Amino acid sequence: MTEGQRRSPGGPSGRPGQPPAGAGRRHARSGPGPDQLGALLGRVARGDQDAYAAVYDRTAGQVLGLVRSIVRDPAQSEEVTQEVLLDVWRSASRFDAELGSAAAWVMTLAHRRAVDRVRSEQKAAEREMRVASSAVAYDEVAEAVEARLDRERVRRCLGSLTELQRESVTLAYYGGYTYREVAGLLGVAIGTVKTRMRDGLIRLRDCLGVDL
Amino acid sequence: MRLGGSDPHTLAGAYAMDAVPEPDRSRFERHLARCESCRQEVRGLREATAALAGATAVQPPAALRDAVLHAAGQTRQMPPAVAPAPVAWVPTQQRRRPRWRPRLAVALAGALAAVAVAAGLVTYGMQGRLDQARHRDHMVAAVLSASDATMASRHVSTGGTATVVMSHRERALVFTAADLHVLPTGESYELWLISPAGTRPAGMIDGAGHGKMIGPMVVSGLAAGDSVGLTVEPTSGSPRPTSPPLMLINL
Repeated sequence: MTEGQRRSPGGPSGRPGQPPAGAGRRHARSGPGPDQLGALLGRVARGDQDAYAAVYDRTAGQVLGLVRSIVRDPAQSEEVTQEVLLDVWRSASRFDAELGSAAAWVMTLAHRRAVDRVRSEQKAAEREMRVASSAVAYDEVAEAVEARLDRERVRRCLGSLTELQRESVTLAYYGGYTYREVAGLLGVAIGTVKTRMRDGLIRLRDCLGVDL
Repeated sequence: MRLGGSDPHTLAGAYAMDAVPEPDRSRFERHLARCESCRQEVRGLREATAALAGATAVQPPAALRDAVLHAAGQTRQMPPAVAPAPVAWVPTQQRRRPRWRPRLAVALAGALAAVAVAAGLVTYGMQGRLDQARHRDHMVAAVLSASDATMASRHVSTGGTATVVMSHRERALVFTAADLHVLPTGESYELWLISPAGTRPAGMIDGAGHGKMIGPMVVSGLAAGDSVGLTVEPTSGSPRPTSPPLMLINL
């Protein structure tokens, strides 16, 4: 294991007055200004169906895109997306703005559901085979993702990572692989992968100027 | 602080991407429960992953919208986390009778003995993690020998007894429990520090059972006005309590 890249959390990640280039887009993200999605979730928690429709319109495309990149099968992806969005309806009262942005809350639900789906579906043996057959997987995932990486900023920030950081983050996040599987796929030590995932995400976080 | 032979902090990235399967996941979450800076780091990394997610957005089919909105209309919503979470969590009737025994030398001596025995056993069983155990023992000793140490016991509503020895001077408490009701697979007891300002996870509890003793667990970072509570949660732990407390002690 190499350099720890320890940072004091809550450190200098929120740069002052840095409206990111893409701030005007429809994407609800943790940018400056009020978290509109969070406010909508507050209304959803009280059973407001109009607010829920607005939450749907702001998040469904991202949820489906992420779920698809992990689950692949279109029909199953829609099914999982539906589950995720219903989760949002059911558990809106559990969203806590102090613990993060509304977008992160929704996408965390989505990612977990998608990962649960592929991990329960794929029999362990089958999955191990895929891990053993290496190489293909990264290219597959990377291609699928690249095709949809429409947002320049994310692409640029991903591009600022080292190759190993980028591969580790891509396989784990867009591919839904565990860190052990990622280590197997890339043929590197488990400890190295853990470290690369962490310092890769830290670099991304700083590059994206994520507020916290 | 070490976990499974390597620095647990390095798992924060993998964890933020759901790339940590069990049992590492539970172990890391136990670490998170004790590590405010780690929780903050995970939060920040999750924000970064949300931006990654945004990059994959696609146009969802119109039929999906109808299906989801329709289904929502027929789905019951969850109530807010544990009836207005942290604040209402300190019920007033409990507050009325703070059953803190004055530091009865005898009672405390009994607790000390029980805790010391348990500490010894636990240390003995964890050869590979001696450092951690030593550190823990040291903390246990510091709390138990603090000049302001006080003790309280409560019945757990589903069975068993919980005992807490705490010291405000050490800003820590030692928790032990006995005879806790055995939970179904997938569920565990979780300990919480509750204050009007918020509820913090204070650790997962393993090894419930009749005739079994749990702990001693050291919970540090105690603040004035805290209560300690026990709930049942999924084994992987929850960031906030999702069920009513089975036991609550005002500290």
